[in-house]
Amino acid sequence: MAVLEVASLAKRYGDATVFANVDLVVAAGEFVAILGESGVGKSTLLNCIAGLDRIDGGTVRIDGIAVHTLAEPAQAVFRREHLGFVFQAFHVLPHLTVAANVGLPLLLQGRPDDERVRAMLAAVGLAGFDARLPQTLSGGQLQRVAIARALVHRPRLILADEPTGNLDPATADRVMCLLAEQVREQRAACVLVTHSRAAAARADRTVTLTPEGIVA
Amino acid sequence: MLTLLRKLSWPELRHHPWRNAAALFAMTLGVALAFSVHLINASALAEFSAAVRAVNGEPDLEIVGAQTGFDEALYGRVAAHGGVAIASPIVEGDSFAFDAAGKRMPMRIVGVDALVVASVSPLLVPRPTKEADRFAVLDPTAVFLNAAAEQRLGVAGGEAQVRVQAAGGRASLRVAGRVATGGPPLAVMDIAGAQVVLGLPGRLSRIDVRLVPAVDRERLVRELALPAGARVATPGEAVQRVSNVSRAYRVNLTVLALVAMFTGAFLVFSILSLSVAKRQQQLALLGVLGLSARGRLALVLGESAVLGVAGSALGLALGTALAALALRLFGGDLGGGYFPGVAPALRFDLGGALLYGALGVVAALVGGWLPARAAQAIAPAQALKDLGTAHAGPRSFVLGTALVAAGVSLSALPPIDGLPLAAYASVACLLIGGIACVPGGVGLMLALLGPPRQPLALLAIERARYERDSATVAVAGVVASLALSVALTVMIASFRDAVTHWLDTVLPADLYARAAIGPGGGDLATLPPRMPALVAQLPGVRRADAQRVVPVVFDASRPAVAIISRPLADPARSLPLAGELVDAPPGAVAIYVSEAVVALYGAHAGERFALPLPNGTRADVFVAGVWRDYARQYGAIVLDARDWRGLTGDERINDLALWLEPGASTSAVEASLRHLASDLGYDGELLEFAAPREIRVLSLRIFDRSFAVTYWLQAVAITIGLFGIAASFSAQVLARRKEFGLLSHLGLTRRQIVAVVTAEGAVWTGVGAVLGLGLGIAVSAVLVKVVNPQSFHWTMDLLLPWPRLGALCAAVVVAGTVTAWLAARGAIGREVALAVKEDW
Repeated sequence: MAVLEVASLAKRYGDATVFANVDLVVAAGEFVAILGESGVGKSTLLNCIAGLDRIDGGTVRIDGIAVHTLAEPAQAVFRREHLGFVFQAFHVLPHLTVAANVGLPLLLQGRPDDERVRAMLAAVGLAGFDARLPQTLSGGQLQRVAIARALVHRPRLILADEPTGNLDPATADRVMCLLAEQVREQRAACVLVTHSRAAAARADRTVTLTPEGIVA
Repeated sequence: MLTLLRKLSWPELRHHPWRNAAALFAMTLGVALAFSVHLINASALAEFSAAVRAVNGEPDLEIVGAQTGFDEALYGRVAAHGGVAIASPIVEGDSFAFDAAGKRMPMRIVGVDALVVASVSPLLVPRPTKEADRFAVLDPTAVFLNAAAEQRLGVAGGEAQVRVQAAGGRASLRVAGRVATGGPPLAVMDIAGAQVVLGLPGRLSRIDVRLVPAVDRERLVRELALPAGARVATPGEAVQRVSNVSRAYRVNLTVLALVAMFTGAFLVFSILSLSVAKRQQQLALLGVLGLSARGRLALVLGESAVLGVAGSALGLALGTALAALALRLFGGDLGGGYFPGVAPALRFDLGGALLYGALGVVAALVGGWLPARAAQAIAPAQALKDLGTAHAGPRSFVLGTALVAAGVSLSALPPIDGLPLAAYASVACLLIGGIACVPGGVGLMLALLGPPRQPLALLAIERARYERDSATVAVAGVVASLALSVALTVMIASFRDAVTHWLDTVLPADLYARAAIGPGGGDLATLPPRMPALVAQLPGVRRADAQRVVPVVFDASRPAVAIISRPLADPARSLPLAGELVDAPPGAVAIYVSEAVVALYGAHAGERFALPLPNGTRADVFVAGVWRDYARQYGAIVLDARDWRGLTGDERINDLALWLEPGASTSAVEASLRHLASDLGYDGELLEFAAPREIRVLSLRIFDRSFAVTYWLQAVAITIGLFGIAASFSAQVLARRKEFGLLSHLGLTRRQIVAVVTAEGAVWTGVGAVLGLGLGIAVSAVLVKVVNPQSFHWTMDLLLPWPRLGALCAAVVVAGTVTAWLAARGAIGREVALAVKEDW
């Protein structure tokens, strides 16, 4: 069953078309990598999928729900429950402990679960790091915190944008391996946008975004 | 450095025009307030000095008398002395003139010998009109008015009659010309006429003397062997006396204005701190590119200096305008009542302008010092990785605690040169130390809260806990301004409450009648001694007590002390005592002194005291008690009327306190009193009546007017504090857009993110309000218990007006929360989620 269905998606900034006719279907447990040149709109595509950016044509459905038709508060609630994000710059909150950062999505849903947080930290190799503050962690460790946070609430879809962009090749490889492993273990769908062919190699399927649409 | 300022700082200043304009505005306001107070004081003193000099002339030697002057026979001796070239006798006193509508106008009457006055005091020379004969200057019924008196009485230089209040009632005098003296209303007349009008027959107030060149002044004074009650005055004594009288008030005003400047410096600190925090990576990059740590320090200090110079320049201009406006609206003492009748023109003071301009720049540099040190301390490599800023840590807490301890110690020190300088330093230490303790205080208060399970609360509380140094920047403005406001509120409430209770005690009767005396508290008119006994028999009057008020100069550099004699059966009930009564030894005359007499003349309860009398001699008396007097800053002494008569033989009275029968008509009693006074040979129309309620209303109105300027300062302080909050929250919200972008990705709605920021605003301003309230109460205790007694020589109880303080704190918290809400709403639009885009 498809978790993500993107059909004829178009995005323009004024008169300039960023992309058009984008079609993409991602099934549960499937890991899809999207490659593309700089400026082609890879990040914008993820924003459009997440309902964080307006679309100018087409549809985006996640688990059959047309995200772009929801009002802003409903979109936020939808993201909270169904999506997980991994960013290039980690974006962990410096004033929260590692455990609090990882547990934030659960807390936002009103179902804090310390056991689940500890399990996720153990799963990403950070057992015992619960009480540490982010500034005491390395880049690779921070990205693992971000992956744990993206998966802790068992989202249906993970959106990852250049998650290895700030990491050295060896660390990047380990992080991608972990991401793919966790996605598959939890039967989530994952869309990864990246420049890195090495990172894309971990995906089940690789496509390329062009202004005219997705090229398989 | 100028190039760096132009290339790097100027775009930053332009990029946040409103934020920097707020800092500039605060500095401008601080300098303007301080400079305007200085200009008002300087103008008033200069005007008063000029008026005094005009009346006094420029004698080589001045022989002055006590309140009732000295025997005029001394004049003959002085004038005949070989070392004296010219001696000019003067008799003077304060009285009233009546305008065409019968309204009383304060006017000084100066009696001169027209034949000699020109050589010593040329401005007092009477100039007859063309219509008047040339001997008018010797006519005891002729007066010569200065311009102010002419204007107020509507007499424009021609022949006219003017009614003045004389010792025996109203007297009609002929206006025969002018005098060139400036200043408040003044009438010059022949000395014999003035002696009659002022009720000082055969007496002189002073003799102005021109000496023969090269004469030995000391020897001459010795040879004159001046009698008791006459002495040689020091040059500028009158000006110095007025300067001393108003000095504490002026210093207090200046300190309040300097506090406004301090608050302005605080806003500079807030805004530059946030600016440095926001530009941390830019400054780090400059560090990597070769700008030294000292260079970064200089750059930020340069920015604060630019704010200081611009703020000072604008502040000096605004201060000059404010001073001109205040002089026109409130007079030279801003309602303090220290320069009666003086309407000064603005006198710009270049030296003062340079001083206060420099103070403004220094204040801005002080405000910029910590942010500059923060810029200096940036570790470029770490900052470029955005690994956060160093915490102030325990050092600031230790420093803060030490300053608070120093503040407490300083508050225990005595006044320096009659001024509460140590107490002011104590207030400064408490304020700065309290602010330095803010991070520790915030940490302590947040430590009491466990980690919340509610996500929005968790985000708000944890960030407040983690960023408590940033919180200091935002909260300290609230702490400083609220502390100042709370301190002033408590001080004014305590003082007002004390004055209200005091009025209740000192005004026990139903009606008061007073022989109209001169506005300067002179001894121009008294009531017939038989009057109290006769008044007690009037219909509607149950009891009548007489009172005699005599101003006596104890020290030439200070105003006279009021000696009040009246029936004193039970001092414990009729005096607002400060402390216990002490039984006087048998045969001793008991006196009860106001607190000012204790502070200024060392008259302690239970000790003997040499009481100066109007005739210049002293009487040995016993101080049986101390009482609070909020009316006479330079002292008052109460003693039983029989004792006074025994000491001086003075049977005269000034005031009557009347207890009326229930249901008696006040107006009927007043009418019968006027009638009785006229029957006894006194001009009954000159009697003044006042009911305690009227006196109370009038007193409290004067009180409120005197403190009007402090309410204004409170408003300014709170506004500046809220400016700080607004600037701080706006900057922080902008700096946290990436964080808000992440929260948006994690599923928080914009409304929830705004709620988080608003909650943080509430937490921070709430903490600031609690700390500000505590600090304000501590500062108010110093103001009430130390500054007031040391400045004005009166004590009062500390009154905490909780409803008003609560409302003040609540208003600040609400304003801070709304400010945070507005800042968040403005900055967190739909596109906030894209703030993480730079990394995508």
